[in-house]
Amino acid sequence: MVTRLSDRFAEELAALRRVATLVARAAPPEEVFAAVAEEAGRLLGAHHSWMTRYDPDGAAKLVATWSSTGAAVPAGTRLRPGGRNVYTLVFETGRPVRIDGSTDATGLVVDPACEVAYGAAVGVPVSVDGRLWGVMVVASPQGEPLPVDSEAWLAGFTELVATAIASSRARVELRWFAEEQAALRRVATLVARAAPPEEVFAAVAEEAGRLLGAHHSWMTRYDPDGAAKLVATWSSTGAAVPAGTRLRPGGRNVYTLVFETGRPARIDGSTGTSGPDCEVASELGVRAAVGVPVSAAGRLWGAVVVSSTQGEPLPEGTEARLAGFTELAATAIANAEAQAELAASRARLMATADATRRRIERDLHDGAQQHLVSLALQLRAVQRAAPSGAGELVRQLDGLATALIEVLEELREIAHGLHPAKLAERGLRNALKALARRSAVPVRLDVRVEGRLAEPVETTAYYVVAEALTNAAKHAHATVAEVRVAVGEGVLHVRVRDDGSGGADVTRGSGLTGLKDRAEALGGRLALHSPPGEGTTVQVQLPVEQARPTAVGAADPGAAHCPQAVPR
Amino acid sequence: MGRSIIVNMAESCARVVVAEDDVLLREGLASLLGEAGFDIVGRYGTHTELMAHVLQLNPDLVIVDIRMPPTHTTEGLDAARTIRQELPDTAILVLSGHVQVEQATELLRGGQRMGYLLKDRVSDVDDFLSTLDRIIKGASVVDPALVQELLDARRVEDPLQPLSPREREVLALMAEGLSNAGIARRLWLAEGTIEKHVRSILTKLGIAEAAENHRRVLAVLTFLGNN
Repeated sequence: MVTRLSDRFAEELAALRRVATLVARAAPPEEVFAAVAEEAGRLLGAHHSWMTRYDPDGAAKLVATWSSTGAAVPAGTRLRPGGRNVYTLVFETGRPVRIDGSTDATGLVVDPACEVAYGAAVGVPVSVDGRLWGVMVVASPQGEPLPVDSEAWLAGFTELVATAIASSRARVELRWFAEEQAALRRVATLVARAAPPEEVFAAVAEEAGRLLGAHHSWMTRYDPDGAAKLVATWSSTGAAVPAGTRLRPGGRNVYTLVFETGRPARIDGSTGTSGPDCEVASELGVRAAVGVPVSAAGRLWGAVVVSSTQGEPLPEGTEARLAGFTELAATAIANAEAQAELAASRARLMATADATRRRIERDLHDGAQQHLVSLALQLRAVQRAAPSGAGELVRQLDGLATALIEVLEELREIAHGLHPAKLAERGLRNALKALARRSAVPVRLDVRVEGRLAEPVETTAYYVVAEALTNAAKHAHATVAEVRVAVGEGVLHVRVRDDGSGGADVTRGSGLTGLKDRAEALGGRLALHSPPGEGTTVQVQLPVEQARPTAVGAADPGAAHCPQAVPR
Repeated sequence: MGRSIIVNMAESCARVVVAEDDVLLREGLASLLGEAGFDIVGRYGTHTELMAHVLQLNPDLVIVDIRMPPTHTTEGLDAARTIRQELPDTAILVLSGHVQVEQATELLRGGQRMGYLLKDRVSDVDDFLSTLDRIIKGASVVDPALVQELLDARRVEDPLQPLSPREREVLALMAEGLSNAGIARRLWLAEGTIEKHVRSILTKLGIAEAAENHRRVLAVLTFLGNN
């Protein structure tokens, strides 16, 4: 008897060690469950053994089964709650339970799932993190009672099971956390490098959709009446509703709930959805959805929605996970709005400066220049009226008139530098031709622009060429320059290339800095390529379509609220 | 010397309309022309006023500022176009604060008796009056500053390369609107010599010879403006 006991003890230790090894090398929980069912069954000489996991209502799902005869009930079978049986008693008491066939009515030990009668059955609870998770059961046929210490032996296994579940859970959570962080980081990177909002929105829809295992996800922007426009959509099946689709306001659906409450909302089951545009949802087969608001500048801007085509509700915590994404989207929106406001304000400043230059040029032209000419005329009249014999006086008057004409020439140059009248009167092509003629460096000019462009675009292009040609002559000592100007796909491309000494730097306070600002204020770009000894290339791209420059003091009141860069 | 020209002009007694929005300049110009013997039949400060009267007046010469109210852009060009259409024999001088080759060629396309000068030129009285005389007699005149700008332009492949310095001089005077006789007088050369130079220049530049002087000016200006 002593030998038998010590043998069993050794066997149990070996069995426990095998299971412990599985747990230690992080085998999947299912594998651990299966091993435990088999090892415990064999060790205790049982005919059947199984492990179940409880639902909140006491129903139990078989997660592993073993049978000495090979005729095991399949894993995955659900056992309904209630009755007098081991798994129900363990669920109700939270303690080990033994049912003995000799003392209890046979029928009461019948397993409701498999209708097999047992002589005896022992169940030991599996608790994870202090909560009842499931039960480990061994059973033997009538006339073969289970050993008295079965509960104690089983407890050793259930502890290992609990450890396996807890560590697996921790690993899953860790992986989730890592995935979530990676997804958020990808979106945050886009936001940080000021990617266009559309791109950020698309990334938010896709990353949130993937991370949360949704079937569809989208981002909407609200109209004041609660209508929502899809600004980005994603689908795991590829059957996404196209971005740009408008969803009418009202009804019982996630986007309307978010609009009405300004808070996260969820809908479970298709019966809960209604409203004018629920067909969009039903077309996609959406049965559960969660929406989280996106706020920008303290106002409700839109929502991010993830949805599932499964009947089951989306997991708890979906709202909190989405919030990370909506915050990034809000940052992108705020950035874009700030940038649009900045660009608009720069464009206004530039338009004001240009208008001032034009006004001064006109004042010089129509005022000072004319007066000087008439003064010169008067001088000539005085000169003619001078009495004969006043030769010295006449000579002095002549000198004065000549000096006046020289001042006039200087003034003409100044006026031209302020704002070339020719640009306004004759357009970019002719103004550039004149510029090329006046250039100290010979210019090969190729201008492919039909008709007139918006004034700030023409002016900026003109100044860029003027500055580049001046630099080519003054600093780079170039022998030839090439100017190409063309419109393509709504963008004016300007390129000035010279064969000079290179080494120009847009950041070193050259005139190009101001021109870069100018180009950017118009939503364009200026690039400088100037390696030492290899000439200089200045390239500028300007969108041809420009919002009408708002006059100073008459700024569009809607402009600040509806920045261009954010899609409506 | 100035006085002699003034006397000459008095004899011509041409009827002139002056359109200039700067009142001082307008009156100064009118008094200068009056002294020189021109008959000032109209003085106007806007495009609208000018056009309201000029056709009825049918003057020999209209002097018009290019920038005038209401828009201060190119009212003078519009006026010149209309007047040329309605009164083909009236000489027109357009004065401008700055000179543009496109405006010059546009004016010259309207035919002879056309002038296009910087405003400053009015203060060189003798030169100015003789220019008016030439325009009235049928010449087309282009401001020397514009011609100089066109000739001075640095070009990658300079089509003027084959020209001799003398030919360049002749070309400039052709562009300003001088006839062969006028160029000969200016350069103290025989008219026959100038004729040879002109033929050589036109051949070298590939410009067709033109019977009328203003067509020659237009052709030369167009060539210089496009190259």
